[in-house]
Amino acid sequence: MDNKVVYIKPKRNAEVQKEEVFFKDIASAACSDTHLLAKTKALKVYQFREGEKKRAVISNLRLIELIQGLEKGITVENVGEMDTLIKFVKIPEKKGMIVWLKVLFVAMISFFGTAFTIMAFHNDIGIHDVFSRIYELVTGQKSGGFTALEIAYSLGLVIGITLFFNHIGGRRITTDPTPIEVEMRIYEKDVDDTLIETADREGKTIDAS
Amino acid sequence: MLLRRIFLAVFGFSAGMITAGGVFTVLLAVGLIPRFAGRTHTGRKVMLYETMVILGTAVGDIVSVFEPQMHWGMAAGQVLLVLYGGFAGIFVGCLAMAIAEMLDSIPIFARRIGFRHGLGVAVLAMALGRMAGSLLYFYEKMYLFGG
Repeated sequence: MDNKVVYIKPKRNAEVQKEEVFFKDIASAACSDTHLLAKTKALKVYQFREGEKKRAVISNLRLIELIQGLEKGITVENVGEMDTLIKFVKIPEKKGMIVWLKVLFVAMISFFGTAFTIMAFHNDIGIHDVFSRIYELVTGQKSGGFTALEIAYSLGLVIGITLFFNHIGGRRITTDPTPIEVEMRIYEKDVDDTLIETADREGKTIDAS
Repeated sequence: MLLRRIFLAVFGFSAGMITAGGVFTVLLAVGLIPRFAGRTHTGRKVMLYETMVILGTAVGDIVSVFEPQMHWGMAAGQVLLVLYGGFAGIFVGCLAMAIAEMLDSIPIFARRIGFRHGLGVAVLAMALGRMAGSLLYFYEKMYLFGG
């Protein structure tokens, strides 16, 4: 009997919608033996129970153990993550309204919050004094408070942040992700890392027996 | 005169661009909006939030630089004030906590004094302390001193 090699690539973070978690939900695999590959993908790796936490961390040593239990003489090569975070997410039945309220809520904070920030900043630096002094310096006349300087400043501010966030409405200026999208991924990664670390410290990781 | 106007315009435009870069890099480094989006599971709507940030800045800029006379009437004005105050308050509250957290002051203190339990109480105390401080500040008219 020759030695078979199964290559597995577990994900870092997998969301499942059913209580039964199968190998194919949390990892991808490759193997020259299609029969073995199919068996691997159909392996049941975890079962969420009623009233239990909706989150589990599984060590990929456990996956390797399960695959090696299928047949004799299998070598498993892991090319992915060491631990996988499985989240059980039930698709809510009525999502429209609440999701829209949440979106509205965050949109409102973003709008009024930044409006306040920029106003507080202008107040802090005393923008009126600065601008009227510059106006007097350059033109020798009293500033009326509504001059080319103020208009150009406002234009520059808006163009600056539009360039910074890299889109106008829903339209991207370049194909790069926007800064908040980048931050969002970093934040998610940090959360996943923390959850995996915490499970490890509390000894709740589902590990090889 | 025209030349001077052009100079002023170039000056103002550059000042605006730099302010945008500076102020928003700080806001972003703190990572407030990704956190809101993460907490509410609305990551798909990040573009909308960014658009709101841009609009909010534009409106805030117009209001504070040009100080337009707005007469909303009593009822509409009150509603707008509550909306503005409430949401700006949430934003600033989160910003203050996020900055404290970014500087790791809480984990460091917790480690130093061997703090294990009751983090929830500490957080609640911080929130209440902020509220008391804010109310006292306005009630005692502390903005009249210093600054």
